[in-house]
Amino acid sequence: MRSPRHLVAGLAISLSLLCLTAASAPAVAIGPQESTQGSLWLRAEQNTPYQAAPTLDTRVKMDVTGMLARVQVRQTFHNPGNRWAEGIYVFPLPAQAAVDHLRMIVGERIIEGQIKERAQARKNYQQAKQAGQRASLVEQERPNMFTTSLANIAPGESVSVEIQYQQTVQYSNDAFRLRFPMVVGPRYIPGEALDVEQQVAVFAGTGWAQATTRVVDAARITPAVRHPQQGPINPVSLDIQIDAGMPLAEVSSTYHSIDQRQNAKGQYRIQLAEAQVPADRDFELVWRPEADALPKAAWFVEQKESRHYGLLMLVPPTQHAGTPGIGREVVFVIDTSGSMHGDSIRQARSALLLALDRLTEHDRFNIIRFNNTADSLFSQTERADSNTLTLARQFVRNLEANGGTEMLPALAMALQHEEEAQGIRQVIFLTDGSVGNERELFQLIRKKLGNSRLFPIGIGSAPNSYFMRKAAEYGRGTFTYIGNTADVMEKTSDLFEKLEQPALTDIRIELPSNVNLELLPQRIPDLYAGEPLLLAFHGAELPDWVGVHGQRGEQAWTSRVTLEGGQQGAALASEWGRRKIAGLMTRLHDAENDDTRQALRDEVVSTGLAYHLVSPYTSLVAVDVTPARRQNELLKRHSLQTNLPKGWSYDHVFGLPQTATPAAMHLTTGLLLLLLASIAGLRVRRQSC
Amino acid sequence: MLNFRTLLILLITGLGIWQTGSAAWIHAKARLAQVLLENAWEKTLAGDTAARPWPWADTWPVARLRIPSHDVDVIVLHGDSGRNLAFAPGMAAGSALPGQPGTTLISAHRDTHFKNIADIQPGEQIELETRHGRRAYRVLYTDVVDARHSGITSDPLRDELVLVTCYPFAALVHGGPFRLVIRTEAVSGNDGIARQNSQTTAPLPVALATLY
Repeated sequence: MRSPRHLVAGLAISLSLLCLTAASAPAVAIGPQESTQGSLWLRAEQNTPYQAAPTLDTRVKMDVTGMLARVQVRQTFHNPGNRWAEGIYVFPLPAQAAVDHLRMIVGERIIEGQIKERAQARKNYQQAKQAGQRASLVEQERPNMFTTSLANIAPGESVSVEIQYQQTVQYSNDAFRLRFPMVVGPRYIPGEALDVEQQVAVFAGTGWAQATTRVVDAARITPAVRHPQQGPINPVSLDIQIDAGMPLAEVSSTYHSIDQRQNAKGQYRIQLAEAQVPADRDFELVWRPEADALPKAAWFVEQKESRHYGLLMLVPPTQHAGTPGIGREVVFVIDTSGSMHGDSIRQARSALLLALDRLTEHDRFNIIRFNNTADSLFSQTERADSNTLTLARQFVRNLEANGGTEMLPALAMALQHEEEAQGIRQVIFLTDGSVGNERELFQLIRKKLGNSRLFPIGIGSAPNSYFMRKAAEYGRGTFTYIGNTADVMEKTSDLFEKLEQPALTDIRIELPSNVNLELLPQRIPDLYAGEPLLLAFHGAELPDWVGVHGQRGEQAWTSRVTLEGGQQGAALASEWGRRKIAGLMTRLHDAENDDTRQALRDEVVSTGLAYHLVSPYTSLVAVDVTPARRQNELLKRHSLQTNLPKGWSYDHVFGLPQTATPAAMHLTTGLLLLLLASIAGLRVRRQSC
Repeated sequence: MLNFRTLLILLITGLGIWQTGSAAWIHAKARLAQVLLENAWEKTLAGDTAARPWPWADTWPVARLRIPSHDVDVIVLHGDSGRNLAFAPGMAAGSALPGQPGTTLISAHRDTHFKNIADIQPGEQIELETRHGRRAYRVLYTDVVDARHSGITSDPLRDELVLVTCYPFAALVHGGPFRLVIRTEAVSGNDGIARQNSQTTAPLPVALATLY
């Protein structure tokens, strides 16, 4: 027989192992009859008198000429239910989109939208809705986020809302890039909830978040998110025509597979390889001119009612300087909130590891991570030697994404430094920008920037591009997107080349003195290697030359461009109007007193009305005066769901908490161990007697 | 004499005491916290928007939940992090506040604060008290879901309270994927009562850290 000592020891070990593993024990097995996996939604819908919400189908047509894109987005709402419906859909557009056109299409009839001050447009919409007339309203929530409302869709009927916008195509590093975002990622809403009474007074919305002290329109920017288990919705199709005006070496789509055809005139026609894709990630099209056809300058003009509009793109020659002499101070800030969980945090981690490899021993660095809380690797920046880099790599590999997105303290921490710091100070900020308090963050960057430069890297399948763009503008840096783990290497090296090469700073524009015209942007941003200068003009006549003066490192740089002819561009007026509104909004956000704010607000309204543009204070509304719904029939309001952006994890955004304690396990193990000890104790006593 | 055998017995006894102690501590914490919360709750009712129950707390009471038929009377904390649930049921940040349109979501441990609600039935009454007054809800139905595949989306067009706890109740091991979801709807006629205490206009201390 085995010695009881062994038996006791064996039992004790297995029991203590059991209690050590209990804390991380996986799910206990439960029979299928006890579980009803993922049936919550379906059942909830069956049990209630709620009828199916309208479905949505989006068709996008883009016409690209040179670097101007005209885009038509047609959203078709179908009401599958047996009651009249109102559909509300929150969707993204590029942050540079100038929305100047709305048409509502009901069967054979087409109703043109009118531009109105936002409150007036909403009033018109409400009146039409109550009177049973079909009506649609397009409002801007953020420069890259819009809401379509469509009232009185008959049972079984389809109604389309078509919007058109103008945008410039981004040109950098010898390639043109055109992004079309498809989904608004769920945003983190910081702040304390406003009271019921205050909310109604501020903004009514149908989102999942409440208005807070810091994001007063939270309910308008947080559309309900469909659980991925329920399958994708909101299909999108794309049809793109590119007339690049130069021979192209390559046309490619970054995240979707496409079909492309080229006609005899050298124009390209691009469509999605699958007819439709779910609206769950950004679409990006990239085209590269052949090496000997790279544009150095482009000049577009339009005349409209005796007013002239011009758009000038200038590519300063790149100067390949050697390695930068003076060391830099680099602070990396990485977003580890729950929205980054999954693909995004993997992309961010590998980008950060690559970035660490590029540091030399002349550089000083630090890493800050944040979610609900922010903390840094070192208490202050440290020299990049093998010790600190090893610690840093370890720190980065262990980063996990979870929790909220309290970006403000992290940014404040990154921008805090000695006023008299020498040399270049770069803050590299990896995030998906899924926050609703953009304004607050821009204020902080503006106030605290000092001699730092901020370089946002947009991570994930649906980053908040407005945040990236504007943060880079306020931070006097430049932005980069990484949407694929496969892109990390290329995109980070691009960014680092930009960071290591001298930028063109203190740029000043010289114009002929006899021409009276307006020029935008008012303050010219610094340029990084491979980036063009974009200038918009408006006046009774256009200049015939433009002088550009700047500083390249220690050297002065000057260039004079003669402007002749110019390619006719369509809707340059819209482009000008949008740039003007963007400039006014920046001034409005930075304004110190209410009078200035009111004056700027009025100017935004008049600009919006003059250029027929959707802005924060002007909306497009279309009303079909033909009565449709009789007064005795009810209208049901539906806010349309959106997909969760691809690669995001639902549990880490809206997860349910853990709701059991290990108490029962502890108690059982404890009592068993005590029992075991007393049996063994008795045996010992008996033997020693 | 301290031989191997005695040492081993002492070790097992120690482990046993540690384990039973841990279990007792979990239950003690859950009960003790409710006593401490009582005081903070009174301050909340008196108008304090973020009455911290203990000085280092990063949460505060937001509601009092009563289910008379199941002997439940607990103070609910803001936020449903694991740390909060050890002390009290938690209202998910981002929940609609009672009285506002949307879904109010409260979670608690199945073996402490919600241990009595395993057999809750449709039609039973639940009462939720906030700084703005009391509201009554009626249980519509219960459902068991797998938390790995489903969540609760806030529906802005409803006025509902959803209670969530782990399932099954008798499981020895914690950390399982199943949740009991109790769906309720506000009993109509609430609005008269809902406003009885709302003289203050300061925002309710429910921050919306909803979105992670």
